[in-house]
Amino acid sequence: MELPLPELPAFDYLHASSAQHALEQLGGSIARTRVLSGGTDLFVQMRAGSIAPTELIDLKHIPGLATIEFDENSGLTIGAAATMNAVARDPEVQANYPLLVRALETVASYQLRNRATIGGNLCNASPAADSAPSLLVLGSRLTLESVGGQRELALNDFFKGPGETALTPGEILTKISLPLAPTGWKGRYLKLGRNTSGDLAIVGVAVLGFPDPEPTSGFRFRIALASVAPTPIRVADAEELLETTTLSDESIEQAARIAQDLARPISDARASAEYRRAMVFELTAWALKDVRQMLEEEA
Amino acid sequence: MTEVERTVSAPSPVGESVKRIDAFEKATGAAPFADDLQFGPNLLYGRVVRSPHPHARILSLDVSKAAALPGVRAVVTGDNCDARFGLYLRDRYIFCRDKVRFVGDPVVGVVAISETIAEQACRLVEVEYEVLDPVVDPVRALDPGAPLLHENLADYEVADFIDPKPGTNIANHFKVRKGNVASAWDECEVIVEREFRVPIIQHVPIEPHVAVAELDRSGRYTLWSSSQSPFAQRNLIAQALELSQSDIRVIAPYVGGGFGSKAGLSAEGTAVVMAMSVPGHPVKVRLTREEEFFCAFVRQGLVAKTRVGANAQGEILAMKTEYYWDAGAYTEYGVNIARAAGYSSTGPYRIPNVEADSYCVYTNHPVGGPMRGFGMPEIHWGIEQIMDIVAEELEMDKVEFRLKNVLHGGEQNVTGMVMHPIGLSECIEKAARAINWGVDEPPSSPYARRSKGIAVSWKAPAMPPNAGSSATVRMNEDATVTVAVGGQEIGQGTFTVMAQMVAGVLGIPVDWVQISTPVDTKYSPYEWQTVASRLTWSMGNAVVAAAQDARRQILELAAEHWNEDIEHLDLRDGQVISYRSEEVLPLQNLVVYGLPLPDDQGWRGGPILGQGSFMPGYVTSLDNETGQGTRAVVHYTTGCQAVDLEVDTRTGKVKIHRIASAFDVGKAINPEQVEAQMQGGVVQGASTALFEQLIRHNGVPQNASFTDYRIATSVDIPDEIIPIIVEVPQDDGPWGARGVGEHPMIPTAPAIANAVSAATGVRIFDLPISAEKIYLEMQKERSG
Amino acid sequence: MKHHTISFTLNGTHEIRDVRSNLTLLRFLREQLGVMGVKSGCDTGECGACTVLLNGEPVNACLVLAAEIDGGKVITVEGLSMDDQLDPLQQTFIDHNGIQCGFCTPGVLISAKALLTRNPHPDRDEIKDALRGNLCRCTGYVRMIDAVEAAAKEGN
Repeated sequence: MELPLPELPAFDYLHASSAQHALEQLGGSIARTRVLSGGTDLFVQMRAGSIAPTELIDLKHIPGLATIEFDENSGLTIGAAATMNAVARDPEVQANYPLLVRALETVASYQLRNRATIGGNLCNASPAADSAPSLLVLGSRLTLESVGGQRELALNDFFKGPGETALTPGEILTKISLPLAPTGWKGRYLKLGRNTSGDLAIVGVAVLGFPDPEPTSGFRFRIALASVAPTPIRVADAEELLETTTLSDESIEQAARIAQDLARPISDARASAEYRRAMVFELTAWALKDVRQMLEEEA
Repeated sequence: MTEVERTVSAPSPVGESVKRIDAFEKATGAAPFADDLQFGPNLLYGRVVRSPHPHARILSLDVSKAAALPGVRAVVTGDNCDARFGLYLRDRYIFCRDKVRFVGDPVVGVVAISETIAEQACRLVEVEYEVLDPVVDPVRALDPGAPLLHENLADYEVADFIDPKPGTNIANHFKVRKGNVASAWDECEVIVEREFRVPIIQHVPIEPHVAVAELDRSGRYTLWSSSQSPFAQRNLIAQALELSQSDIRVIAPYVGGGFGSKAGLSAEGTAVVMAMSVPGHPVKVRLTREEEFFCAFVRQGLVAKTRVGANAQGEILAMKTEYYWDAGAYTEYGVNIARAAGYSSTGPYRIPNVEADSYCVYTNHPVGGPMRGFGMPEIHWGIEQIMDIVAEELEMDKVEFRLKNVLHGGEQNVTGMVMHPIGLSECIEKAARAINWGVDEPPSSPYARRSKGIAVSWKAPAMPPNAGSSATVRMNEDATVTVAVGGQEIGQGTFTVMAQMVAGVLGIPVDWVQISTPVDTKYSPYEWQTVASRLTWSMGNAVVAAAQDARRQILELAAEHWNEDIEHLDLRDGQVISYRSEEVLPLQNLVVYGLPLPDDQGWRGGPILGQGSFMPGYVTSLDNETGQGTRAVVHYTTGCQAVDLEVDTRTGKVKIHRIASAFDVGKAINPEQVEAQMQGGVVQGASTALFEQLIRHNGVPQNASFTDYRIATSVDIPDEIIPIIVEVPQDDGPWGARGVGEHPMIPTAPAIANAVSAATGVRIFDLPISAEKIYLEMQKERSG
Repeated sequence: MKHHTISFTLNGTHEIRDVRSNLTLLRFLREQLGVMGVKSGCDTGECGACTVLLNGEPVNACLVLAAEIDGGKVITVEGLSMDDQLDPLQQTFIDHNGIQCGFCTPGVLISAKALLTRNPHPDRDEIKDALRGNLCRCTGYVRMIDAVEAAAKEGN
């Protein structure tokens, strides 16, 4: 086994003045040049020797890249370099997307969240990324930019595997867009770690539900999971089941069972696959029951 | 249920909750730790090439590329230092010479002008290994065909109370044979037999190991280190370098948490050998956090097989135990931990028939060192659970069962020693009452199950019979006092407690007392080690003796000056007073310049310098075959913890509502510091109970980082920790005090396990009591 | 490797320095500026011993590059007690025995200071939450939490 270096290896630090500047610098190769956002994962990986960039381009000072904007018609736009604390403290985010605030508050520690960014959390593409399940159920879309232009992508299509994303060489994530949350929605992010809070997720479950007269149950649900598959995932089959049957303890448990069957967890230092699978069921059912109760109380 | 009359009177400020004398320095960031010391541009840095294999033979070493790297000043190997060393059993070299025996074993040291260059050079070292089968299980290590870690065990020097078995992996075998276990089983109504496991864990001091060593031109070494045992380190380095103690000077500033990991010799040795090759240059070695997890010391793992029998009246009649300690590649303290486990194997119970075999077993794991509790948290994990099970089978209340069977003063313990007065029963009663024992309380949700558990414990300082302490007390012109000791402030508050004792003897305010820092073997008086919860008692005795020596000199001086009888004089409020003549003299100046005699007949006195030393004179050996003896330890500190918790059935997560922690400390010199030890110990104990384990795969550590090895944080603590101080005085302790630094984490894990069992019906036999284990066991129970 | 000239204030004093790209704020403070109250415990942002205030917010100095603080304001534990006056938190940590070995103390004080700045009246759970990024192996946290609570009360 190779131990981490006692100190960060050598590299050149560059201050990007604009997205264009950063993109030009990236020069079509991400092998030796990496973007630096919060650095909370990047520096750890560099000390561990798992990546060895020769150049880091700091995105934090690019105008607009750390802004958080809410529009009553179109929803929320978060600059990829906005820190988790900046997002969680934003009054509009607190008022309109409390589910995201709760999810961000489960991450590590307050001081770490002063550096860690939402963009970094997504691009790092850890299966355990805490912002991912909430952003998934809130229907987030991403804006990716390269020298050639920009494209939009649903978050659901962004994750490709552990540490792997749809970003092509030379491309960066600049914005995360959340549509307006559905009227009357209730949400819950349940995260199980070893510590009471602040650990990486053994399992993370986000559930969002809202009234809708169309489906049989009178509600629509969205469910997403972290840390139980190669990427954070949505559980469409379970969502569908909850819409097409009458809402009951039985249907909730059935939905949780579907989520459990879909999960492909691994065993690691934090938990065994067996426990993770069981926790997908327990936490999904728990979150769904909480959301159901909140919805019923509202109705 | 006090067992002796409490007549010890405490001159103020002894017994007062004086504020820590080091708190100001520490609150302002000014307190120096080893890594904060400045060495100027001469400073070089050392990094270590470590074995990637748990067990391998070194076939060849090529350091030429490393040595050629610009900025590298020296490369050292096992050839630079060829004497074996060890505290009780000399079983290691500073750098490996023939074999590597754990992942992390030091093979080559590189000295360079920066840490980064040293590390780069390390990665250029080429080592050819013949990989050998590793030994990764302490029980299977004893199989006839098991690979041997130390083929030359027979040649190793060893202390006379340690019994290694050459030709095997056994570094020590300690036996107890008392009464007749074989025939006692027949008289038992209930017999319970279980196996318990304790994983390897790490101390996790927040300050990693730091050592800076320098060889000066006269051939003497200085070592600045984060050290709990500067004098023991000096001894061990002298062994390894075949030097005399006075050739080595160890300077130890404040220690940022030790818990045993900074006793003995680990990273410090590598710094010294590297310094050997660059005379005139200090060489700094600091472990990264990742290295800290397995390259210094860890707590040994344990497999405990235990059988206990009791009669229908609930009296324990017999106990048979086998301990297999997962000692790691070398033992340092491990052999003595196995011994202490053996002679404490019954726990604080009165059991007439006992058979115990405690094996310290070499494995290809990180080196087992001492950790807070020195084997006692590990053995109580099993003892206190099996006692619970016996009580269950007898259908007896668990508090009642313990009260019926625990030792009292005057009774014979497992080794035949007659127990000194102890307040254990009082601890049990008070801890149980504090959490409303016997009263069912509602859980916080319909998904939770709530219940209570209890565990008792005992621990003696485990040390050689002649471990000593010494101190000096020097008076200054302004009547303040400078106290020199060799024991270390590692957070436990010992400097404050020593200052209180001196102030108490000399009748001065505590803030007139300063402790000489840093501890420096060149200037500080000898202290065996800062381990074993022994300083309040042992160093305290030396400090009190030194202060009394100074006091006597002052009183004699005043008596002569006033022409009075010394019996009528006293020191109070910074003055010498006479109760008879009502004369008063402030201590200022007279404690340095003396006093004139009447009628211009000259002067008497001079600078007052008190000295004191202490060594228990009464400790005897234990018989090799039976483990019996008169008094193998100085005393036992006993106590009890009672836990009220709930388990979330959806996840298996444990939530601790409250823990009562009651210990008989003899006399609390500083009650608030005693309570602080109890609070800190409970949380450390709960952390090890619920979270901690150094995971290995075939000997290779898998979670050597804070990301993967979690300890309790501020959000994990019990809602309430209730410290309870019981004081049954120790006859040879200062004001009756005995130590309590380690004890509050000993019963925590089994108390939690017992409460979890009571709440869920699920009993966890191998630590940690993770949410995962509880949940999966509950699932098994449910599915029948 | 690139070097950068950075201008910043450290505990109220303006500084201009030259730093290499890969120098962390932690190493910069300790090794080049001699600010020894900032402690190194893990280099991965997990232990919190190196917590300092950067532009008023607590950060793990081991995860910040020195080159990034250009134009910024850094406060360490040394900066809490300017003009020989202890910060109320330092006093309550002394009075409530919230200190044992003292190694984590500087980082804990900075986290607590930041908490009381953004939330002058935290409840016990909020205090625990704000300190969860500062590992302590000695105190069991209880007396630290007491000390922060007491400082908040005094601030009234």
